[in-house]
Amino acid sequence: MKTLPTICPSCNSRLRVKELLCEKCGTEVEGLYELPALASLPEAEQQFVLQFVKASGSLKEMAKILGLSYPTVRNRLDDIISRVNELQKNQNSLTRKDENNESGNSD
Amino acid sequence: MNQEIAIDKGAGKLQLSQWLFNPFQFIAGGKALFIGVVIILITSGLGSISSTHFDGVLDVHTGRSVPIWLFVAEGLIDWLSLAVVLFIFGLLLRRLSFRMIDVFGTQALARWPHIITAMVALAPGYQRYSAHISYKLLKTCPVVMPYQTDALFFALVLIVVICMSIWMVVLMYRAYSVSCNIKGIKAVGSFIAGLIIAEVLSKLSIFWLFTV
Repeated sequence: MKTLPTICPSCNSRLRVKELLCEKCGTEVEGLYELPALASLPEAEQQFVLQFVKASGSLKEMAKILGLSYPTVRNRLDDIISRVNELQKNQNSLTRKDENNESGNSD
Repeated sequence: MNQEIAIDKGAGKLQLSQWLFNPFQFIAGGKALFIGVVIILITSGLGSISSTHFDGVLDVHTGRSVPIWLFVAEGLIDWLSLAVVLFIFGLLLRRLSFRMIDVFGTQALARWPHIITAMVALAPGYQRYSAHISYKLLKTCPVVMPYQTDALFFALVLIVVICMSIWMVVLMYRAYSVSCNIKGIKAVGSFIAGLIIAEVLSKLSIFWLFTV
């Protein structure tokens, strides 16, 4: 399965969505969209979040599934939380920048 | 096929090194607490046979024979001193919550290399040579004439004790880092400070225990 690139291979900046396609009718949507914070996480962390949801958010259950100790699983989750917070902070600042640019252009 | 075997061997080696130097990735909480306390009790029992005192978080000394409960008390004081200090450090430094049982459990389990120390200290050659040194230094102990090979035994046991102590410190640090999720310079600095405070605390507590 192809993995969704989230970082620019050329300059290491975060990538944004420019084009979307409906495979059924061929409709193409063009614009500038932010990748959701969870989709911006590395593959392994996305898998962890998916498993966590499937385990009804139980860290003890996750520890059993992964064969790891409770604090190790909790630390991994804490690291993902801080990464998501950071991503959302970056996204908010980018959105604000876009809004400022748009209002500057309209003036 | 060969590549798969090589990968399996590599993963096996990685798993082994993780079990040796960071078992807390796999075991923590109540299980670690139970195993750790059993290990502390066995270590104390072995120590009482060879009069090996663990009279400080990091200390190992051959000393006088005392009732077994004092050896057990030493082991428990060593464990609790460090666990309490690191738990307080964790509360001060950590942003999110962590479980007390993980800190106490992993710190108890981190003391397991001392069981090897207590076992090698049972070696008769080491015992004879320590008694001989005690006689030379204190002149109050009974005279013991060591065999020629005893000095070698003594040196070997000292090397093992040093290696086990280093290994134990590595485990104590990993236990602290995993159970409180503190990393980097903050983790190293607070662990060193915690270790020094716990060492002083344990020495004072054990001194008080022996003088009361």
